[in-house]
Amino acid sequence: MAKTAGGAGLYEVVWPCGERKQKIRPLAERLDTLNGKTVAQLWDFLFAGDEVFAALESKLRERYPDVKFVSWREFGTTHGVNEKELLASLPQRFKELGVDAAISCMAC
Amino acid sequence: MLRASEVCESAGYPTSSLVCEGFLGQAAATSVGLGMPNLPVATIVGHPGAQSSEELRDNVLRVTADQVIDNLLGQPAEKALPPEPGAREIVFRGTFEEVNAHFYEREWSDGLPIVPPTLEKIEAFLSFTDRDPDEILGVLLPESRAATVWTVAVNGVMAGCRPEYMPILVALIEAMADPIYGVEHSGNTPGSDTLIILNGPIIKELGFNYEQGVLRDGFMPNTSVGRFWRLALRNLAGFLPHKTDKGCFGNTFRVVLAENEDALAEIGWPPNSVDMGFAAGDNTVTISRMTGSAVLASVTGATPEQMLPYVADGVAKETGWEIVFTTGGLTFGTLRPTLVLTPILASTIARAGWGKDDVKRYLFEHARMPAWRAEAFSETWADFPIGSLKRQVNLGRLPPAFAESDDPNRMVPIVFEPDDFMVLVSGDPMRTNAHVFCHNGYLGFPVAKKIELPRTWAERVRKPE
Repeated sequence: MAKTAGGAGLYEVVWPCGERKQKIRPLAERLDTLNGKTVAQLWDFLFAGDEVFAALESKLRERYPDVKFVSWREFGTTHGVNEKELLASLPQRFKELGVDAAISCMAC
Repeated sequence: MLRASEVCESAGYPTSSLVCEGFLGQAAATSVGLGMPNLPVATIVGHPGAQSSEELRDNVLRVTADQVIDNLLGQPAEKALPPEPGAREIVFRGTFEEVNAHFYEREWSDGLPIVPPTLEKIEAFLSFTDRDPDEILGVLLPESRAATVWTVAVNGVMAGCRPEYMPILVALIEAMADPIYGVEHSGNTPGSDTLIILNGPIIKELGFNYEQGVLRDGFMPNTSVGRFWRLALRNLAGFLPHKTDKGCFGNTFRVVLAENEDALAEIGWPPNSVDMGFAAGDNTVTISRMTGSAVLASVTGATPEQMLPYVADGVAKETGWEIVFTTGGLTFGTLRPTLVLTPILASTIARAGWGKDDVKRYLFEHARMPAWRAEAFSETWADFPIGSLKRQVNLGRLPPAFAESDDPNRMVPIVFEPDDFMVLVSGDPMRTNAHVFCHNGYLGFPVAKKIELPRTWAERVRKPE
């Protein structure tokens, strides 16, 4: 601890946080249209995500009649005890299912 | 679920994350920790739990859908993060009051005065571990920050710990970083807080309270280590209220619960450390995230059969919506309710020849709830659908004990098996009370770590008489 001329203590202190280990990474390239594309639905099985996806499907089909969806039922909950394993499996599952994009919910 | 979106984006799949209105700030902060600060989100107006199906549909069509389309078709602008200080860099120089104001304004403190983390004080803490100060104990979500031995010492200083608590603090952060515990869930809705259980000779060596008032502040080791835990969640993991910490009401931190190992030894019951897979006499920390707790006052009786009906009733009643961690609403079989018996209660039970396993078995058979109530938490009162207990039993996901008949009033277990109950002994030795903690399931699953002492421990820490 440093001292001021008047004798009052001055403290020189460090930062209490740790270094960020996750570097900033780019997002995936976006699609040019949803027509003819397959969109995966990912749900953590909380807060009426099933109803939200039903409404979204209808609106997206209205705008993009050829859009296809892979239901959340295909993947199971993304917020279960096996979350890490399930998320790690998604890229391979998407490849198999011909997925082009994903909608993930529900952050509450 | 932004973590799912991050995985997809990393693999080359564009995403839109749906985020409720009250969680947009959390989403923005969490995205940074995931390394994608420009992760696009679409707003869910209000909260689905407080809307009719028609209202929810209307809001999704009116607001959310267009944002989803924008998110999948329009490339979000890149974002950069400001530079941050190095670990040993002096970030501020000032008086005690100025340091505290500086830390509070930057959300580095919990609102109570902190001990200024000077290099001198940090070195004193580091002298109580043989570990390299730069060793990374884990990378903690939501901010994906490295928790090092150094940053543990910094936050230990700030919390008001003494340097000799350092081995406990290191073990706690190793436990926090264990994926089984799931620190990333620490900011979720229930606002649960962690119970730290301490075992081993270190309890007496460092003067932890393990008797009357064990859960009360007022004892430096118990209190300051408890405070350290929450400072670590703030500064090492990045859980900040109104941002990444979205506990609806929250809790203050819990002080450390040290077991009464003398009382346990007298009645021949193993300490919690043994239940967690360590040897008796090992110094250990166990962490488990609790949604709440209650005292069972004046447990009366001279035999287990007389005492335990009240205890089982209390254990069962403390569990409410948390049953969904057992029955599949959120997970199957991850609920770990915890019972704390005072030494006199434990010894009275043991006098009848009962071990801890007998208590757990009794709780399994008697701490139950009606099937209709367990189903109500999933199907009607809250929104964690499972269909029915019987359906889950038929699918092989729940043990048969959950569907022994079709009677909605049948009593069903609150856990999968007796060992899911944790039984501890602590508190006022001569008082006939018990304390029950309700658990937060896999969102803070019990994890234990051995406390590594430095080579110089015996020379520097006086053995208790």
